[in-house]
Amino acid sequence: MLTVSNLRVKRGARVTLHDISLSLPAGKTLAVVGESGAGKSTLIAAILGLLKPSGGQIAWNGAPTRMVRPALVMQEPRAAFNPVLSLRQSIMEPVVAQNIKLTQERLQRLCAGLELPLDILDRRPGQVSIGQAQRVGILRALIASPPLILFDEPLSALDAVAQKHTARLISDLQGEEGFAALIVTHDLGYAVAHADQIAVLKAGRIEEIADSETFALNPRSEYCRTLRDAAIALGALEAVA
Amino acid sequence: MIKAVCGLLLRAFVVLSGATILTFALLWNAPGDPAQAIAMARFDALLTDEVVDQVRQEVGLDRSFWQAFWAWLGPLLTLDLGFSAVTGRPVWPDLAAAISYTFPLAFSSLAVGLAVSVPLALLATKRPGGWMDRLAVAAASLGNAIPAYWLGLILILLFSVKLAWLPALGASTPAHAILPALTLGLGVAASLTRIIRSGILEARGQPFLPAFRRRGIVEKSIGRDHVAPHAAIPVVTVLGLELAFLLEGLVLVEVIFGRPGLGTFLVQAILARDFAHVQAVVVLTALVFVAVNLAIDLTYRIVDPRIGESDA
Amino acid sequence: MRSVWVLAIVFLLLAGLGPVLAPYDPTAINIPKRLSPPNSEFLLGTDAMGRDILSRLLHGARWSLGLAFLISVISLVIGTTIGLVAALGGKRADWMVMRTTDTFLAFPELVAAIVIAGLMGAGTWSLIFALSVTGWMRYARVARGIGLSVQSRGYVVQARLAALPAWSLARWHYLPFLIPSLTVVWTGMFARAILGISALGFLGFGVQPPNPEWGSMLLDARVHLRSTPLQMLWPGLAVVLCVLAINLTGDALRDALAERDHPK
Repeated sequence: MLTVSNLRVKRGARVTLHDISLSLPAGKTLAVVGESGAGKSTLIAAILGLLKPSGGQIAWNGAPTRMVRPALVMQEPRAAFNPVLSLRQSIMEPVVAQNIKLTQERLQRLCAGLELPLDILDRRPGQVSIGQAQRVGILRALIASPPLILFDEPLSALDAVAQKHTARLISDLQGEEGFAALIVTHDLGYAVAHADQIAVLKAGRIEEIADSETFALNPRSEYCRTLRDAAIALGALEAVA
Repeated sequence: MIKAVCGLLLRAFVVLSGATILTFALLWNAPGDPAQAIAMARFDALLTDEVVDQVRQEVGLDRSFWQAFWAWLGPLLTLDLGFSAVTGRPVWPDLAAAISYTFPLAFSSLAVGLAVSVPLALLATKRPGGWMDRLAVAAASLGNAIPAYWLGLILILLFSVKLAWLPALGASTPAHAILPALTLGLGVAASLTRIIRSGILEARGQPFLPAFRRRGIVEKSIGRDHVAPHAAIPVVTVLGLELAFLLEGLVLVEVIFGRPGLGTFLVQAILARDFAHVQAVVVLTALVFVAVNLAIDLTYRIVDPRIGESDA
Repeated sequence: MRSVWVLAIVFLLLAGLGPVLAPYDPTAINIPKRLSPPNSEFLLGTDAMGRDILSRLLHGARWSLGLAFLISVISLVIGTTIGLVAALGGKRADWMVMRTTDTFLAFPELVAAIVIAGLMGAGTWSLIFALSVTGWMRYARVARGIGLSVQSRGYVVQARLAALPAWSLARWHYLPFLIPSLTVVWTGMFARAILGISALGFLGFGVQPPNPEWGSMLLDARVHLRSTPLQMLWPGLAVVLCVLAINLTGDALRDALAERDHPK
């Protein structure tokens, strides 16, 4: 279980995250929703240990999250891969570095689950479509079987068809692999459809955390109500009430 | 701003301290007995083993590098450069005499360099890509490839041996400075031409210039008020490098032309293993170099506060 | 620009084949024929000891170009390693490494090389040491600069998350992106090394006689400036042409890279 308590992050003189507390049980999904600049990416960087918080704690089952090596799926699929290496070389990095046993069978199963032909791994990132690149990105995140995977706007670089497809694949794989997913997104419809819980971030503070159903039916705060109504108006979220 | 200036000063201090340590390390590791070298540098006398051993203990050479370093640094901080073991005289007067030959040569070379490169760059950029431009670039490339000592020999051959117009060796009259200044100045001109040329071309590309032209501002005043200052920035940036080039060239040119300046002083000191003289020149060079670079950085920050904000 | 490449390749071939092409032994002394002007027997004449200047020039290419290559590669390796340590090692390591680099830059490179080579005692090894130890700083600055710009790229973040060891990180995610710029710097430093070697040779601190090196050949020729002025022309011309060819190759390379990165 991921527990973030009273997390505070300062960048220069500016405080970008105030007093964030949230938790994510193993195997569950938490969507973090918020507008640009709300501090979503900072939250991810802090959980991954890429930046040092100025206060608070982040832990996985009481130990530092670093110990379980959480993986990250990035927003820009192609930029996440070294252009001079083959995709296979890139996805094998966690395997080699952490000395993990990876059977050919498991690699085939993961590729099948992501609907990726095996030979695609021998190409360079520039030689595959963006949708394929993102699925290889998910493959890399899964390969070392981390208990926690963070998704930073995993769908926003994809077209509408690829978005639906990829969202479904992530859900299916989560069922098989059992990782906990923290998904940062600005797509409330996606969040409500796939997450167990939704946290709304506004200007570095948590505005509201709720079960996604409760959230869709009846957000407590005014801001979240506006967000929900906007999503309904755009057709991204079906009106439940 | 104040923080940035303090940062620069701290940097200069660290670099200068490092340079002093490097200089001492060089002396420490040079073949031969450093205690003897220091003793010779200190005392104007013939040395017995006893005296050397005394110095060894006094300076702490029998102990550690650092203790020895501090003992050496003490007099240096009071600008006491000691005695030369070879000449038997204090270092300062001889060094000052050498500098008195080097300074005029350095300045006149710089003057030659500017007098050649500025008009050449202006002519070249009148029509970028035209024949004048290509000729200037080719001349600059050629000039960059010609070593100072070869150019010096050719000039001697031409003007002293064949034409017998100018004296070649020594420094007794101002005429003796012409060939060395020309040798070094042409080298300076070669690198400056390139830099000024690209500076002017870049400044011409400034996005606001077409707007001035549309408003009917005269081309000449655009050049003076807007192109020239922008073209000067890259020139100031490389002043440090130019200074290095000048100092390197000075050593060789002085040796070729037999001028008793700093370069000759240094080479003779190395050949005679006159450690006190070598140290003096090396520390002085580093000091000038660091000071000039500091001055450039400071000027920069005052002229354009944006520069260097992100650079730690 | 193709002609530039051709010129550069011709010089490399000359350096490689020079000893084969040379008509005489470059160190064979022939006093009766000393200081002869160019003639059918000695195409470029002979020096003060009657040695064939053409043969010395051709053998000298191996000394001058070979040593310059060695020195520029040694400083490339030192500088790149140091620059990468600065870029990968975090803020404190960066500050310390870069101040060390600044310290080495506090001396004009050639002046420092002259002092080091002179104090170590003349000879090929001290020449190599002196020019390498004073020639790595530019590589370090370039490697560090590009290294810092690579740091925030997605795949570097991924590699860090994967706990890739620093060595592999540098090898796979930094080095490939450094190579183009470092190659441009390297051509410049190669040319500088040729000039440095011949300058030290000219001062008598470099390659020692009787080995034919262009700078020391100039030193020999200088004494006979009045009687056989042509003798001093050849080694200088060799240096100029080599440096020019390498510099122009470097310029062409830099332009090609700029074109690739910012196509018009």
